[in-house]
Amino acid sequence: MLPPVAVAKAVAYADSLALMAAGITLIYMCTRTFNFAHASFVTWGLYIAYAMTALVGGTPYYYLPLSFLFVGGLGLAVYLLVIGPLMRRGASPTTLMMSTLGVDLVLLSTIQMFTDFLTRTYKLYARRVVLEVYDFSIFGLPGITFISLIIVVALIAVLHWFMVKTKFGTAMRATIENPDLSSILGINPNVVYMASWFIGGGLAGLGGGIASLVITGDPTVGSRIVVSMFASSIVGGLYSIYGSVLGGLLVGLTEYLGIMVLSMQLGGWILTYRPVIPLISMAVTLLIYPRGLGGINWGKILLKVRSLGGKSWS
Amino acid sequence: MELIPPVLLYVLVDFSIYLIITLSLNIEAGYAGLPQFGRVLAVITGALVAGAIPGRMLAILYGYPYGAEYASYEFNFKIVNELNILLEKNPILSAGIFILTLIIAMVFGAAVGYLTSRPAIRLKEAYLGITLLAMGDVVMLISLYYSPIIGGTTGVMVPDPFRWTGPQRFAAATLILLGLSLLILAVVERLTKSPFGRALRAMRDSEIAVTVYGRDVAKLRTYALIAGAAIAALGGALYSFYTGSCIASTYTRVTWTFWPWAFMMLGGTGNNIGVTLGVLVFVVVKTLIVTYRSALAPYVPFDPVWLEYTFVGMAIIIIAMFRPQGLIPEKPVFTIPRKKIEKFIAVFEKT
Repeated sequence: MLPPVAVAKAVAYADSLALMAAGITLIYMCTRTFNFAHASFVTWGLYIAYAMTALVGGTPYYYLPLSFLFVGGLGLAVYLLVIGPLMRRGASPTTLMMSTLGVDLVLLSTIQMFTDFLTRTYKLYARRVVLEVYDFSIFGLPGITFISLIIVVALIAVLHWFMVKTKFGTAMRATIENPDLSSILGINPNVVYMASWFIGGGLAGLGGGIASLVITGDPTVGSRIVVSMFASSIVGGLYSIYGSVLGGLLVGLTEYLGIMVLSMQLGGWILTYRPVIPLISMAVTLLIYPRGLGGINWGKILLKVRSLGGKSWS
Repeated sequence: MELIPPVLLYVLVDFSIYLIITLSLNIEAGYAGLPQFGRVLAVITGALVAGAIPGRMLAILYGYPYGAEYASYEFNFKIVNELNILLEKNPILSAGIFILTLIIAMVFGAAVGYLTSRPAIRLKEAYLGITLLAMGDVVMLISLYYSPIIGGTTGVMVPDPFRWTGPQRFAAATLILLGLSLLILAVVERLTKSPFGRALRAMRDSEIAVTVYGRDVAKLRTYALIAGAAIAALGGALYSFYTGSCIASTYTRVTWTFWPWAFMMLGGTGNNIGVTLGVLVFVVVKTLIVTYRSALAPYVPFDPVWLEYTFVGMAIIIIAMFRPQGLIPEKPVFTIPRKKIEKFIAVFEKT
């Protein structure tokens, strides 16, 4: 049997991945940019939570909103300075992807400099961030499991409300469907793109802040788990935020628990091969159903299940 | 007495290795337009071959252990040290092993290129880029943690085929590397000007048009990936031979995929001469940062080595935004040498 604490941690890890993948998908849906800089976004989110906890005090929970806002601002700056001008010039998706790679390198270097700064000025061990001690526990399980689960559920609810009920959300969906047509109707796509980068970046920061309570952080933590984030988005289908949240949960849980089960069966040597699991889940998705979880018509399946149960409506 | 100053050696070695790898990337990304974000995969294949095969071949030849124990950190340095003493006395064997390993590396590289072409003929853009990136990462991790091939986290030593050149070993090795890289430049330049290279450009610009003219897009992509990966594997093997060691953690995504992309974009995507210039500029600036690192250190509250990343990243962004064609833009290919065409024109004008 798997220890309950491990399962709880797996859930928290999967939640953080779900948030990160939702950010990637949102940005991709709106601006057709596959954002490599998400790795550094996540690391910045984690380091904001860490630096504030270490310097100001309290627990990382207090600083989750700050992580969201800071990295969201970062995303907005990236859009305004780099992606927006490139899009207006009609750059190809590969060029956009490449320029986010440049952004990632710049951000990575700023994180490294910030870490050096923390180490030298405040004498902190900033190259190895362990914040689990700041967590509280509920029924002997880490509190982050419950908090992160609440955050993910709330996120889905708020995003759904935002996209369906508000005027701006409707404008956003229209722009995703057809930017030219929606701009004829007076919607400014630029504002929509700005919003997508702000929210997408913010979700990455939030994910990083949550991850700080689950995994050991260092300046390259983002680029270590970036393959898992990408895999989550691809499993989710890249065209649906709900799909990406589901993909994040699925990939996170399989990765964290799968490797644990395998190590119990085969021995500890397999633990190091953990990153292979997201790759396999990604490959399987691309081979079997490239449209991913978000592309499955759940309503149709639900109807079929109901009719099988003899409770058909008509 | 040193024949070439160490700083110059450093620049030349970096230039040669990165020139080979960036040229291979240019075939795939510059000419064929594929989002090759997994360049490190082929490079590490070449390094694996150099780390695992020549030492074992010599070990079999001279009766040393060659199984998993060859890669064990307890025996590896002893075995390789003794092999190096043998190689030092035998220049012909050294050269033979060197050339044979390079050929094997290219064959393995081509095989890896073929494997990566299987997803590449179905997927596009973001999907393909991520798949290639993830494949590179996974192979790096497996070679880092699976010790029987190249010793896992401790790495292995690579037999030194340049040892017989004596005290000028590094200078000699550098010149051999430089020569090989220029040879590759000539080969790639020929290849990209051939009908195959022109078909790749046509595919990059319009897949429909190239299909209409009777070229199979899937085949073109496959060949481009095989050619690129074989050349990149050669680069990886050469780097292992030069440093005399092979450890998987050297082969990260940033240094062997992202940097070559930056070099290529700076020089001029789809222009081999431009790529050469781009590599040279970057390598010189990188060396300057490393050289003046200690002079800069007192003025900044961080290790100046990170400025290298800032510089490469900023360069990528600025080039993408303000000069997407690079330092030397791509030019149309003249299939007959230009001078000959001019001569013809002169002849025609006279008559």
